[in-house]
Amino acid sequence: MTFEIDYLALAPELVVAGTIIAALLLDLFLTRSKKYWVAVLSVVGVAGGLVPIVYMLAEGGTRSMFDGSYVVDEFALILKIVFLVSGYLVLLMSVSYIEADRYYQGEYYFLLLSSILGSLVMSSSRDLIVLFIGLELTTGPLFLLAGWRKGDAKSNEASLKFFILGVLSTAILLYGMSLLFGLTGSVEFTAIAAAIPDLVSEPALALSVLFLIVGFAFKASAVPFHFWAPDTYEGAPTPVAAYLSVNSKAAGFVAMLIVMYTALPGISEVWAPALWVLAALSMTVGNLSALRQGNIVRLLAYSSIAQAGFMLVPFAAAAVAGSDLAQAFSATVVYLVIYALMNLGAFAVVIAGARRTGSGDIDDWAGLGQKDPVLGLLTALFFLSLAGIPPLAGWYAKFVMFASVIEAGGISTLVLAAIAAVNSVIAFYYYARVIKAVWLDTPSEELLARPGREYAGSIKLTLAISMGLTIAIGIYPTFATYFGEASRVIATGGG
Amino acid sequence: MALVDYLPFVVMLVLAAGFVAVSLVASRFARPSNPTPEKLAPYECGITSEVEPTQRFPVKFYLVAMLFVIFDVEIVFLFAWASIFNELAWYGIAAAGIFTLFVLETLVYVWKRGALDWNVKTRSRYAREHFRIEEAA
Repeated sequence: MTFEIDYLALAPELVVAGTIIAALLLDLFLTRSKKYWVAVLSVVGVAGGLVPIVYMLAEGGTRSMFDGSYVVDEFALILKIVFLVSGYLVLLMSVSYIEADRYYQGEYYFLLLSSILGSLVMSSSRDLIVLFIGLELTTGPLFLLAGWRKGDAKSNEASLKFFILGVLSTAILLYGMSLLFGLTGSVEFTAIAAAIPDLVSEPALALSVLFLIVGFAFKASAVPFHFWAPDTYEGAPTPVAAYLSVNSKAAGFVAMLIVMYTALPGISEVWAPALWVLAALSMTVGNLSALRQGNIVRLLAYSSIAQAGFMLVPFAAAAVAGSDLAQAFSATVVYLVIYALMNLGAFAVVIAGARRTGSGDIDDWAGLGQKDPVLGLLTALFFLSLAGIPPLAGWYAKFVMFASVIEAGGISTLVLAAIAAVNSVIAFYYYARVIKAVWLDTPSEELLARPGREYAGSIKLTLAISMGLTIAIGIYPTFATYFGEASRVIATGGG
Repeated sequence: MALVDYLPFVVMLVLAAGFVAVSLVASRFARPSNPTPEKLAPYECGITSEVEPTQRFPVKFYLVAMLFVIFDVEIVFLFAWASIFNELAWYGIAAAGIFTLFVLETLVYVWKRGALDWNVKTRSRYAREHFRIEEAA
């Protein structure tokens, strides 16, 4: 047993962990009027976590610790960047929201930072135990955050639904992991992958793989494991919903891909059809349900379910066709990066718009573009990007997805591509409906009479960052491609 | 796996779906239909109380028991360190020291938040000073 710890490799986690501890202490001793320093500290801490990551990316190479169960390679670093940047944006969104809310408490930042730390740990995990701890640290604090508005029945419902289904999915996930450990005798992904070929005929192995998929699909809110998502998003504070739809979804998603890719490639004939079905169902059910939503947060919830389906497409297609999984991996990561940016932008628009109109109903947003042209323009920008219209980033995500599917070839893959194409069209309808309400519908007297309140600078900064990156990636996609290419370097541990 | 190997899954699926369908249909015909708002709530849990309870229930014991469990479990980690104290030497002492600091921070947090105050009035002092609690109109 060795105690050699590579402190540089752990630096991002250490910085965030230090910020968590400091934020909790700081909040205790600040008076009410100085509480914003906790938010400042959190934002700075998360940004500080990026510094060692950029340094390690520039240096290159793979760092492996704890007998190969904790690996920092380019794939892990890229994901850490995604988690930290989206966590940073969510923190920025939260500042004004939580301040304005009557339920302000400093523990908010403590919990959100803990969740970010969990996703950092998760992206480096190359064994089942570290993966599980990382994943649970990501979702655990979110049960509390979803129920943040204690006096609000909807928030309580959100928290309870999320908690019950989250715990259930954790139990299923653990059951799958224990079966896998019992069969292969190891928790480490490389050792599991090595033991799989002798066990392929074992029915319990297929069972454990399916259990793992069910557990991860709950976290990623893929259909048919999505029932908690719309209610939870609607009841939770909007920044928390944004975090759920980006970080926590990405965490479940990435965990699934890491396990399938590094530990279970030998038994892809079991999980490939399952992922295919998940992808097709998520896209179709998510999009069709989104058509009927009147509340904008619920609409985004169903849209994020559908987007999870799109994200699954390259990986499912490549696995079913038996082609190169590394190619699909990079397509998925590109999609994930772009989705994170535009979806956070859309949620920031929802926060700003809900403040302007005092409502989350799309009908009440009618004519918002006349009242506040800048906000109307941003609404159009992010929703068009989500629909995949060039020259915004969303088109490139869709392009990469379709390109990798067509590269994979085969009948079942092409069927999946056809389903994805039909769904892109359906999705455009409901995204366009929001834009129509904002720009073409006549504003109500009530909206025009509402005093024009200025929003906080932090919301403006969130919008500016996500807008800038959404446009930049759309015009210059090579930037996102870099993320995809780098993520191919996924070290399988041990080395 | 060949396609025919999935047959048990399909049989299971049909059985499960059939069971759900049969029990839903059977209960639909067997039960009286008398929906009330309480019954239609997503989480029906007993009968909704019509008045507030006549007296407040103290939750002090619950809080103290929770804190005891948390701190007790933290000590378990120190026990593992103590059993191989000599092998770990200074590295172990440093690590356990850092860990103890975190436990102490938890204690500071709990103390400052007033969770250890037995008196309800002093316990709510932190909340009064630190939260914006709008007066109910």
